[in-house]
Amino acid sequence: MDTLLFNAIWIIPLLTVLVCAPIPAVHAKVIKWIHAVSTTFVLFAVCYLTYRVYALQGSPVDEYAAPLLLRFFTDIPWLTMFNAHYIVGADGLNMLLLALTAFIVWGGVLVSWNIKGNQKVFFALIQILATSVYGVYMSFDLVLFFVFYEMEALCMYLMIACYGSGRRDYGGKKLTLTLAFGSSMILATLFGLYFEGGVHSWSILELSKVTIPVDFQMWAFPLMFMGFAVSSSLFPFHFWSPDGHSAAPTAVSMLAAGVMMKMGAYGCLRVAMFLMPEAAKFWLPYVVALLIFNVVLGPFIAIRHKDLKYITAYSSISHLGLIFLGLAALTPVGLRGASLQMISHGFLTGLFFATIGMIYERTHTRYINEMGGIMRKMPFVGVGFVLAGFAGLGLPGFSGFIAESTIFIGAFQQNSTITRIVTILAILSITTTAIYILQTANRMLHGEKPAKFATLTDVCLREKLVIVVLVACLLFIGVCPGWISDLLDQSIAPIFEKISAATEPVIGGIGG
Amino acid sequence: MLDFIFPNYIVPDLLLLLFPFIVIGARLFCTAQSKLPWRIANVGFIAIFVLLNFIPLANGAGKFFISNWKVDDFGILMREVLIISAILGMWLSKDYFDHSGEKEQMHQIAEFIGAIAFATFGGFAVVSACDLLTFFLGLEIATIPMYALTAWNKKDQLGSEAATKYILMGSVATAFELFGFSYLYGFAGSLHFSEIQAAVSSGTSPLLWVAVLFLFCGIGFKLTLFPFHTWAPDVYEGAPTPVTAVISVTSKATAIAFLVVLVYGPFAPIQEQIAPLIALLAGTTLFVGNLGALKQSRLRRFMAYSSIAQAGYIMVALLGPASIAKTAIIYYLFIYAVSNYLAFFVFGIIGHYREETFASLRGLSKQNLGLAIALAVSMFSLAGIPPLAGFFGKFHLFFSSASTGHYAIVTFAVLNNVLALFYYIQLIKSAWVDEPEGTLSPLRLTKRQRNVVILLTIAIIALGILPFLSNNVFSGFSL
Repeated sequence: MDTLLFNAIWIIPLLTVLVCAPIPAVHAKVIKWIHAVSTTFVLFAVCYLTYRVYALQGSPVDEYAAPLLLRFFTDIPWLTMFNAHYIVGADGLNMLLLALTAFIVWGGVLVSWNIKGNQKVFFALIQILATSVYGVYMSFDLVLFFVFYEMEALCMYLMIACYGSGRRDYGGKKLTLTLAFGSSMILATLFGLYFEGGVHSWSILELSKVTIPVDFQMWAFPLMFMGFAVSSSLFPFHFWSPDGHSAAPTAVSMLAAGVMMKMGAYGCLRVAMFLMPEAAKFWLPYVVALLIFNVVLGPFIAIRHKDLKYITAYSSISHLGLIFLGLAALTPVGLRGASLQMISHGFLTGLFFATIGMIYERTHTRYINEMGGIMRKMPFVGVGFVLAGFAGLGLPGFSGFIAESTIFIGAFQQNSTITRIVTILAILSITTTAIYILQTANRMLHGEKPAKFATLTDVCLREKLVIVVLVACLLFIGVCPGWISDLLDQSIAPIFEKISAATEPVIGGIGG
Repeated sequence: MLDFIFPNYIVPDLLLLLFPFIVIGARLFCTAQSKLPWRIANVGFIAIFVLLNFIPLANGAGKFFISNWKVDDFGILMREVLIISAILGMWLSKDYFDHSGEKEQMHQIAEFIGAIAFATFGGFAVVSACDLLTFFLGLEIATIPMYALTAWNKKDQLGSEAATKYILMGSVATAFELFGFSYLYGFAGSLHFSEIQAAVSSGTSPLLWVAVLFLFCGIGFKLTLFPFHTWAPDVYEGAPTPVTAVISVTSKATAIAFLVVLVYGPFAPIQEQIAPLIALLAGTTLFVGNLGALKQSRLRRFMAYSSIAQAGYIMVALLGPASIAKTAIIYYLFIYAVSNYLAFFVFGIIGHYREETFASLRGLSKQNLGLAIALAVSMFSLAGIPPLAGFFGKFHLFFSSASTGHYAIVTFAVLNNVLALFYYIQLIKSAWVDEPEGTLSPLRLTKRQRNVVILLTIAIIALGILPFLSNNVFSGFSL
């Protein structure tokens, strides 16, 4: 029963699209309610399943789900011509990411209630996008994984270019093509994994039982890791994210920054590092060097920007850099911190973009120097924005503090000079983060109120609900992270075991 | 006295051979406005398609009819691709004739469909041939009706120019092929494929390499491989819409079948040695096709470059082993046919009312959402975005090539996909994002047009995800 419900997570959004297809676009209200109900249902289903996974902790798993501790395991032959299977399963890590996705999709549907244009198509595209994200987190077969991973390109361009603002065509194209570039790098290495892996299987579980030839790993790992890193905007592939996010409509920004960018980091951990640990040990020190841009320069660029969405995009770049710092640390604490950061950042950036969208909907500007005194007219949104900012700069009590401090501890445990230097720089860069967040909040929310803002009204109940729920999630992770760490630890343990068993190739890395 | 058992597996071939004569002949017995030939054509093509499905797929050598006509599983599935292309081409030509406005052309649809049927029969001959002579005749039968169809519209200067170019280029290609065949005959001393294969496997000589080179050059013209692709944009632009579609699918499928038969038949022993040549042709073709498509503003020229690139992608599969490559190519041709015809149906509908340029697509999503969705589906499928069928087709092509370790060409082709996505998105942008200039002339869809567009759109979405269709295609090849 639970297994069926688990498989329904990605099917329900598609079914909703099919149900809405025959309804004429003029009945937009009916369509919106159907979508809202379906996303709420998925949200509850995912929360229930997360609880189930937590409750099942410690109980033995099916033998064929080894070496990972997968619940709700399903394996059906799918495309027999190239031996692809439909394999899905849940462990703590992907269940939490699914929960994050469900929250963000639910919030995204609610905040785009009044979007301009053909609403029927817009909500259908959101649901297809949701399917693709759910699918990526659920699947353990590389073909299935890739199909879902690449599906986003289908929706992203149309959503940004048709419903966005500003340079929407440019932003949409830049985002879609850069992501497609990343996924084509991944696709090229997938074939190699299948034929060189020795087991002729696309299953991550099967592939993880063997050691992929190191010669192959040495060129495939950087290709695949960078392919995934493109969607997590690791330097030098970060350039799509500010333009893409600023052009996108609110819901798409939330989804893109909140969950899609995590898909890359998740892929790095689950596919690249898990299947090719030997090469990971060799190449990851170089990644740490790239991170200097992400975590140190990202916040400085954010200070200079006046457009709210650009500021948030650069702040996302710096926060995602921290995820990679945790991954590159290659310690259990670091990996746990990276996973925590994926979840925490998803909620806080979702909240950021949601509040920005609400402000933009009313003021029709995103430039902070044209704003002022918003706190007096729209206190609810103002408070939401400030809370998101505090979570972002790592105030204790919010999720950001837990995640970032875990990453820093984990990274410092790594016995390499360059990692430690970058860690110290990253810790210092929190100050920069504080500068741009406080400066933005100050200029936008307080100070002189322009005359044209006299008629602004605060958000309605629907939007308040989104803010309250997202803030509650941030606080929940921040105040009682214990059981989330438990969930994460049991799913990270097999990955770390595989990595620690690997011997580094003799060529020798930098640092260390 | 008669101990001759009638071979039932060649019934579809014989029917297709008789069929154009019946369709054209039917015109003699009815009025100019009669729909009888059109109905006969519909029934005939669909009957042949159904009959083909009744022929059981057989592993191995296949069945022979008079020693140089072979019916094997590859042949049957290729026949199905060709017949599907012919059926869709026929429906598209009905649209063309319904809207051409000139009454005196209306009754000529019988000849038009007859010509398509001849071209299809040529394709049949290529996939069943067992000796060079039948092979060559098949290729010519497939090409010559296309020359006539390209110049169909006598008053259209662009069409005449296109036909002239096509004939000149085609004749040169034929000359190349004949030259290659003669050298091959000189090398092997036989016309029959099995004997040529035996001769090739026992040793090579410069004579053989000259033959290989000339054969690849010759087929390069027909398959629009770089550097022999230059005729394609002009011909695609000048020919009537249904003819463009048929050239882009039937001719291309025939040419690819020609290569498959050669590479996995007579040249199978030297596949290793000609792999660099195939890789070079494939890589340059898909790169040049993609580059060429970037700057196009007219829909037909755009489709020409797009299909040049697609030919390059198909060539990539030829590097793999026979069992995977054949399935991959057939699967891809099915999907390519469906996606391409969908695009041409949409362009045809637009073309009835406006110029066929990117600019005239503007505002399509607001004017006719269904058509805009169909266009987006077809373009994303050609670009190879999952979960549409085009992705699985391309995946299979690359899978074939990667299975023999040609990772470099696979990586190159996969990266080229990003380039391809760029120009397909340009087209989608015109239809979905750009605001129209002035008022839009209305688009009216007939019932048949709407049904065909819906059918093809669903086919593209379903073909990839649902495995049962493909499993039938592949069960025949499982080794």
